[in-house]
Amino acid sequence: MPDLERLEKLPRPATPGRFAGWDRWWLLFVVVGVLVVAMTVLWPDPYQRIVLFMTDGIVVTIKTTVISYLCILIVGLIAGLGRISKNVAVRGVASVYVEVVRGIPLLVQLMFIYYASPALVQGLGRSLLQGAPALHNLGQSMANFSIDPQIGAIFGLTFCYGAYVGEIYRAGIESIPKGQMEAARSLGMSYVQAMRYVILPQAIRTILPPLGNEFVALLKDSSLVSVVAVADMTRRGREFMSSHFNPLETWTMVALLYLLLTVFAARIVSYIERRSSYVR
Amino acid sequence: MCAEAADPIIRIRGVHKWFGQLHAVRGVDLDVYRGEVVVIIGPSGSGKSTLLRCINHLETPDQGTIVVDGIPVTESKNINKVREEVGMVFQQFNLFPHLSVLENICLAQRIVRKRDRQQAAQIARDLLAKVGIPEKADSYPGQLSGGQQQRVAIARALAMQPKIMLFDEPTSALDPEMITEVLDVMLDLAHEGMTMVVVSHEMGFVRAAAKRIVFMDEGSVIEETTPEELFTNPKQERTKQFLSKILH
Repeated sequence: MPDLERLEKLPRPATPGRFAGWDRWWLLFVVVGVLVVAMTVLWPDPYQRIVLFMTDGIVVTIKTTVISYLCILIVGLIAGLGRISKNVAVRGVASVYVEVVRGIPLLVQLMFIYYASPALVQGLGRSLLQGAPALHNLGQSMANFSIDPQIGAIFGLTFCYGAYVGEIYRAGIESIPKGQMEAARSLGMSYVQAMRYVILPQAIRTILPPLGNEFVALLKDSSLVSVVAVADMTRRGREFMSSHFNPLETWTMVALLYLLLTVFAARIVSYIERRSSYVR
Repeated sequence: MCAEAADPIIRIRGVHKWFGQLHAVRGVDLDVYRGEVVVIIGPSGSGKSTLLRCINHLETPDQGTIVVDGIPVTESKNINKVREEVGMVFQQFNLFPHLSVLENICLAQRIVRKRDRQQAAQIARDLLAKVGIPEKADSYPGQLSGGQQQRVAIARALAMQPKIMLFDEPTSALDPEMITEVLDVMLDLAHEGMTMVVVSHEMGFVRAAAKRIVFMDEGSVIEETTPEELFTNPKQERTKQFLSKILH
């Protein structure tokens, strides 16, 4: 989960090298990749069958992670700005959101959204039908409410991670010296302009490492959506195992495929970090 | 003398500022006229920086009124209008480290003054030439010396074409050999008739440019006089003690 200690570290200045974006950890990615390919070529049964069976699961995992992450960046920014707002009501709402979400396990949140929230909305809809006939249409659509597993999963991941990422944004913004805001305001910029053009561009560079960590963590935590009827890699793996009874081979391959994705993501994150650092 | 010239461009009346228990500014009255250079001196903690920061509302006075160029700062909803007319230079430069020197000078011109890219860049280059570092346009603040950074900060403030410039200890964070290059730029500005309020202990600058000098201690104005008067014949005991410490 969030690695707040890394916030303390300032971005390192770019180290010029012959291969920009290349570092030795790419080797791990290559090794895992070669291993996966070798296994599928040398032992097509069961490894090739597992990989083919899981292809759509890989797509679902990547799609769920990327879409959720983009939503998380926006929700997190709003939560982070809310936490430092001078407006007591805004700050209160943002703080309650962060504290509540941090206190409930992601798995339980996903369960709640997929199983409990439809029951809640349906119950409300039924009482609306009885109590307020004027709102018949609204009551009817609420009583028939159901949630698409994929959308519920993205919503749940965004809701949970938005709170953590919000705290990262807040820490990043607070790490920028007060004089930056004062200089921007003294030039006649509004608070919003100063935030957008002066504070956030610097804060985001500072928080790129923890933001990147969150992406990798999200990629792994997305496996939890398998319990709410999303056919991601983990769920497809479980399906394959229960029809073919080969847990060792199945979960070895699932683990390697996750590793391949996370190692790749971590390399991309570190490449972006190095590209965007500057001399202080 | 017409009425407008006689009106002070900054009028401070009865300003108080508390930081929690600390009574930082205690009922200061001060007028600054157009084209005047006023230097505020005083021991650290005397409230001189706080007073300066009240003028463009970086600090909100708890009591009293400040009127800048006819706009009451202390009541105005639109404080940004005042800040557009009042440039400020900080002790710590506060350049934007993620932007090049040219972008530092262009940013507020473009989003506040709504100038187009070429016009803003032209003004920025002219000002960089004026402060003596035209070749640094594409450098980043982190690559410049302190003196160069402060000169960029002055250029950045001037790009907004302010009517007043505030300097908050502009040379205190600089190595001795860089102080002159910043003071020279400030002297040029003073000779061009810019209205300036400067918090500084650079007595060379005081002698060369100050029209009036204000001595503050413990949040109050102790003495307000001309530089010659101050150096030759200070009236208050407190002023004499302070001067004897800084003019060794």
